Amino acid sequence: MVRRSLVLLALSLYTAFAAGPFVWVAMLSLRTTTEIHRNHFAFPDPAHWEKFPEAWFNSNYGIYFANSLQIVLGAVAVLTIVGAMAAHCLARYPFRLNRAIYFILFSTIIFPPQITIISLFQILVGYNLYNSKLGLTLVYVAIQLPLTIYILESFFARIPQDLFDAARMDGYSDWEIFWRVALPIAFPAVATTIILNFILLWNEFLFAVVLITEETNRTLPLGIQRFIGDTQEDVGMIATGLMIAIIPVIIVYGFFSERLIQGMTAGAVK
Amino acid sequence: MAIVKLDRLTKIFDRAHAPAAEDVSLEIGDGEFMVLLGPSGCGKTTTLRMIAGLEAVTAGTLSIDGEVINDVPAKNRDIAMVFQSYALYPHMTVRNNLAFGLRRRQVDRAEIERRVTGVAATLGLSELLERKPHALSGGQRQRVALGRAIVRDPKVFLFDEPLSNLDAALRVSTRGEIATLHRRLGATMIYVTHDQIEAMTLGSRICIMNKGRFVQVGAPLDVYRNPMSTFVASFLGSPPMNLLPGIATDGQGGRTIKIGPATIDLPPDRMPPVKPGAAVTFGIRPEHVGLAAPAAAMPAGFAVEIMQIERLGAETLIVSKVDGFDARLIARVAGDCPMAVGDRTQLVADLSKAHAFDSSGAVLAPTRR
Repeated sequence: MVRRSLVLLALSLYTAFAAGPFVWVAMLSLRTTTEIHRNHFAFPDPAHWEKFPEAWFNSNYGIYFANSLQIVLGAVAVLTIVGAMAAHCLARYPFRLNRAIYFILFSTIIFPPQITIISLFQILVGYNLYNSKLGLTLVYVAIQLPLTIYILESFFARIPQDLFDAARMDGYSDWEIFWRVALPIAFPAVATTIILNFILLWNEFLFAVVLITEETNRTLPLGIQRFIGDTQEDVGMIATGLMIAIIPVIIVYGFFSERLIQGMTAGAVK
Repeated sequence: MAIVKLDRLTKIFDRAHAPAAEDVSLEIGDGEFMVLLGPSGCGKTTTLRMIAGLEAVTAGTLSIDGEVINDVPAKNRDIAMVFQSYALYPHMTVRNNLAFGLRRRQVDRAEIERRVTGVAATLGLSELLERKPHALSGGQRQRVALGRAIVRDPKVFLFDEPLSNLDAALRVSTRGEIATLHRRLGATMIYVTHDQIEAMTLGSRICIMNKGRFVQVGAPLDVYRNPMSTFVASFLGSPPMNLLPGIATDGQGGRTIKIGPATIDLPPDRMPPVKPGAAVTFGIRPEHVGLAAPAAAMPAGFAVEIMQIERLGAETLIVSKVDGFDARLIARVAGDCPMAVGDRTQLVADLSKAHAFDSSGAVLAPTRR
């Protein structure tokens, strides 16, 4: 009993520690900047719900949100399909240089992404993709693909060869086996990469700020930045923008989290 | 109709190593139950996978009903295979596992449903059709794996050690089910195992493999009674055949062997004349060694010291050391035995059941076949 209370106490403290900033931002999002400057930690009383439509309509958050959704969903879709195919191929087919290709792909993880940014800028300008949603989507795919393949490869490699042989005996081609056997079995791992990529890219700022300057192509993290001026910042609107940005992440996480946990513990229990 | 013919089939995985299967030739008749038996790594699974189309053939030809299928992909061979790991699709229900192969073959829905229900009923899986494999016991999974093969009604069934993941009791009952299945379907079946009891009880014929080659093919009892080599003699039978090294000496028209201190004369139908001085291995099955002189015409005695006694109830195994000679002799006697470990006694071999092998391990009995 004492043990249990201690555990509960520790967990409560940790939850408060982890959730505290989030709750604070949630409160800030319902208060005006003037109110906030008066008292940083007061409850939103009265709650200014009207700030949400204001941000959405007057501060272009609707456009930023749609841009983010389009770019991130596009990148995650390509990452998932291409990553899964590459991982399946590297895990299953013993072609020449298989391990060399895997190593080269994986080795790009060790470089900080910042070192590529100048050359990426040049390439995008050269291909007329600078300042375009497609360009940013492609960059997102490129930076996340190695990690995606790495996570998926180890999972695909654990699928017993007998299943593939059985499917071949059942009359299926390699292509069909990928879609109907390998991908469904690997779904927990695929869900893991979907969440990781979605959250990471949804919050991505560095590449977006360098490669996008046009108002109509800005993503959410850039939109939030707009409220930070040289001399003063609209703290209240920043908080509102943050809340708008967080919602899809929570939805995606809620939708895939059970699969995520399955994927992370897949090796632990047979 | 399905006659499977292997003609000098060879599989080389890696030029640096010995072939996994080398020059294997065999004709498996229509409706025959052929068992490939051998120690692990002998090439039996590789041979099976070549027949299945899961491994490419390096050399030789493989044909079904006279049609060469070396280059026919697995899916077009009309062969079904039961895997050691069962290989059930974990994300599909039992029903979908059974129907998966039929769907690909564009069998119409009503027919798929009819066949799946029929097979599920025969295998006692009707209640489990909506379950996924992880919610099934080992025996049930095994039956789904069998069902998946049966439902396709293939020309040839392949089994790759299908019983080795089951516990002992389940293994016996499933063995019975497979035998019944073969009788009922009358299909050609090829079964790989390292378990000699499965081989002896299931096979119409068995084919013993060693180091990538077929060493002996024949009806199970025939192979058991007339092993062509010391390998087969020591592989088949539990405990295996006693093999005692000896030297041919003068006397009895070249059929006298000196084994340690003992000298025995083999009957003419057990061994051809051999030059004196040649190395000869004397072989005798444990059940042909006894405590008292058997009724057979030509018994031979060995003075031994008992090292170990295993009382199994219906029979007793006596493991002994031959006096003045570094060799073990195992006897299998009915019922109990009054001896104790350390006792000295005389064990008697029934020479009318004895075998003789030359120095290369090949049998010395050309007149018998």
